[in-house]
Amino acid sequence: MARFLIRSLVSTIITMLLVSLALFFLLEAGSRDVTVRILGVFSTPEQRASLSLQLGLDQPAIVRYGNWLIGNDWRVQRKIGYPLEAIKNEKTEEREWWANVNGQLTRWKLEEGVLIALLRQSDGSAIEQQAETSWKTIDDQENGANKQVFWGVDTKNNAVKWVKGEGKEIYILTKAGMRKEGDGAQQYIPLTKGLLRGDAGLSLQTGRPVMVTLLPRIRNTVVLAGVAFLVVVPIALLLGILAGVNEGRFLDRFISITSLGLTATPEFVTGVFLILIFGIWLKWFPAVSVFLRPDAIFSDPKIMVLPVLTLTAVELGYIVRMTRTSMVTVMQSTYIRTAIIKGLPYRRVVFRHALRNALMAPITVIMLHVNWLIGGVVVVETIFGFPGLGKYIYESAIFGDFNAIEAAAMITVLIAVVTRLVGDFAYTLLNPRIRYS
Amino acid sequence: MESQQNIKKKNYSLRLERISQSLRLIFSSKIAIIGLSMFVFWVVLGIVSIFWTPYEPNATQFAQNLTPNATNWLGTDHLGRDILSRLMTGTQVILLKTRLPGIGVIPGGVALWGVFGSLLLGTVLGLNAGYRGGWTDQVIMQFLDALIAFPVIVLYLVVISALGRGDLVVILAITVTGAPGVARLARSLALDIRTRDYIRAAETRGESPWYIMFKEILPNVSSPLLVDGMLRVGYAIFAIGTLGFLGIGLPPPDPDWGNMVNEARRNIFSNQLAVIWPALSISTLVIGLNLFADGLNEEINRFQK
Repeated sequence: MARFLIRSLVSTIITMLLVSLALFFLLEAGSRDVTVRILGVFSTPEQRASLSLQLGLDQPAIVRYGNWLIGNDWRVQRKIGYPLEAIKNEKTEEREWWANVNGQLTRWKLEEGVLIALLRQSDGSAIEQQAETSWKTIDDQENGANKQVFWGVDTKNNAVKWVKGEGKEIYILTKAGMRKEGDGAQQYIPLTKGLLRGDAGLSLQTGRPVMVTLLPRIRNTVVLAGVAFLVVVPIALLLGILAGVNEGRFLDRFISITSLGLTATPEFVTGVFLILIFGIWLKWFPAVSVFLRPDAIFSDPKIMVLPVLTLTAVELGYIVRMTRTSMVTVMQSTYIRTAIIKGLPYRRVVFRHALRNALMAPITVIMLHVNWLIGGVVVVETIFGFPGLGKYIYESAIFGDFNAIEAAAMITVLIAVVTRLVGDFAYTLLNPRIRYS
Repeated sequence: MESQQNIKKKNYSLRLERISQSLRLIFSSKIAIIGLSMFVFWVVLGIVSIFWTPYEPNATQFAQNLTPNATNWLGTDHLGRDILSRLMTGTQVILLKTRLPGIGVIPGGVALWGVFGSLLLGTVLGLNAGYRGGWTDQVIMQFLDALIAFPVIVLYLVVISALGRGDLVVILAITVTGAPGVARLARSLALDIRTRDYIRAAETRGESPWYIMFKEILPNVSSPLLVDGMLRVGYAIFAIGTLGFLGIGLPPPDPDWGNMVNEARRNIFSNQLAVIWPALSISTLVIGLNLFADGLNEEINRFQK
C-alpha cells in the first residue's frame, strides 16, 4: 500500500514537471512577438526592442523557464552583492524587491548619470540620497577599455545593470503611451520568486502581478464549481440509481435519454438556452453575472444561479449514466439474485446490498471528472461574464499573456492531478480487492 | 486458375457477407438507426449546400433579425444573412471539407481529420505501450498522463494561443486531446491480445514488432477502436462548436455554428430565434453520433455474447 502511494505520488510529480515543461516551451515556440500585443501595431521597432529588453526577454528560454519555475533572486543576488528581500507593499498589495544593504533596504535609480539610492523607511516610504555604493570596474573585452558597472535593484522590481556614462535611451510604457527617457540600464532581469514559491510574475496585459488578480478569481471559481458539485452529485447519484433499479422501464428510458441529451449538448448551448428561458423570457435570474463588489458571490448569490445550473446540466448526464450502468451490473449479479430469492424486501436489497458496490465506480469517476468540470467552467464563465479562473485563462490566451496562462493552466492541472490522486486513493481504500502493482 | 478465381469469388462474397452482417448489426438497433439518420440528415444537407443553398450564406441582403417567414425559412441574423443557408454551409467545414492554407481545400471535415489524427497517434502510442511493455510502456504512459492532466479546453486554449487560428490548428488540437484516450484503449486491447498464440507464432517466425503490431494486433482491435472513434467525432464536433463559440475556432469566411451561436447571443434580446437554430444543429448532430455509437456498442456486445 505504502509503495503504491509513493509510486503514484512520484508519478504525479513527474507529470507536473512534464506539464510545466510542455506548457512553457509550447508557448515559447508558438508565441508571436508579445511586445506587439502590448504596444500595438503602430509601435516602432526601437520601442518594441526596448520593451523586450525591459521584460527580460533577451535571456535564453531555458533560463527564463528556471526563473519562472523556481525564481531567480537567489541567483541574481550574487551579482548585486547584497541579499534581496521581497516585501509586500501595504497599499498596492504587490510585492516589492529591495536589496538589504547592511540592514537598510535600498533600491537605486539613475538620474542624469548619478546613482541615487532610495532608502526604505519603516512606514513604507523611501528617502532619496546619493548612493554611497561605488561603481565596480570591469574589463570590457570588446572595446578594450574599462567600464564602470553597477548591478542594483530598480524601482520596477528588476535587477538591472547600469554602466557609467552609458545611460541607455529607453522607452517606458505609461498609460498615455511610450515615454522616452535617458539613464536606462543595459540589462534587465525581472525579479521573481518563481511559481513554486508562489510568484507567477507580472501579467503582460495588466502590468500587475498575476497572483494578485488570480487569487480572488480562483476563490470565485472554487465557490462556483463547489456549489455546482454539491448540487450535481446527490441528484445524479439518485437519478442514476432510480434508472438502474428500473432498468428497461419507462422511468429508466426517460432518465437515460434526458441525460444523454444533456451530455451531448455543449455547455454554451445549455447556457444560452438557460439565459433565454430564465433570464429573458421569465426574468427570474440575471442573465449575466455582474460583480458589483468583489465579494458579490456571497452578498448577491442570485448571480450564481444560472452558471451553477448550466454546470449542473452539463455534468449531470455523465454521472447519471455512469451510476446507472454500475447499478444495472450490480443488480444482475448473483448475490443480489440470492438476496431477492431468499425473500429479503426489495428495498432492503437495494439499499443494504446493492448500493455499496454500485456507488464505488461512480464516486471514483466523479473525482476523475473534476478535469471536465474545469473545462466546463471556462465556457460557463465566459458566457456569463463570471470573473473566475476559467475566464482568466481564456482572456490571457486571447491576449497571449504567457505568464498568466502558464500560472492559471498550472493551477488547473494541479487541481486535476490532485483530485485524481485522491480518487485513486479513495478507490484503493474502498475496494480491498485491488492489487497494488 | 479456376480455383484462384473461385477463391477470389469466395473472398468477394465473404466480404459482401461481412458488410451485410455489419449493416444488419446497425439496423437491428433502433437507437443506432435514429442516431445514424440524424447524422445522415446533416451530411446530406452539407452535400446539398456545396451545390445549392437558398441564398448566398455570407450576403447581407435581407432586413436584420427577421423571424422565420416564407422567404427566409429560419429567419435572418443580426447582419441580415439567411440563417438556413448559413447553417447548411456550416456543415461543410465540420464534416466535408478542410481548408489548408497554401494547398487548398481537401475533402473530409475538420472533425473527421481530427479524429483520424487522434486515432492514428493514439493507436501507434497505445500499441507500442501495450505490445512492448517495460520501459516503453512506462515512458509512453507517463507522457499520456501529462496530457490527460490538462483540462481539455485549457489545452485547446494553450495550443491555439501558441499556434494561432486555422483549420490545421483545430485538427491538431483535437488530435492532441483525443490521442491519450485512444492510446489507453489500444494499450489495454493490445495487452490482452499479445498473449494469444498467433502472436507467439509470428514472433517465432521472426516478424518485426511493427509487423506484429499493425498486421497481427491492429486488425483484431479495430472494431472497438472504430466505435470509440465514432464517439470521438461527436466530441470533436462538440469541441469545434465550443472553440467557435469562444471565437478561436475555425476561421471565416465559412460560417461556423459555434460562432453563429456566439454572435446571436450578443443580440439575444432582439432576436432569440437566431441563437436557437445553430444551437439545435450542434446538439442534434452530436446527439445523433452519440446515439449511433451507443446503439452500435450495445449491438456489438450482444453479438459477441
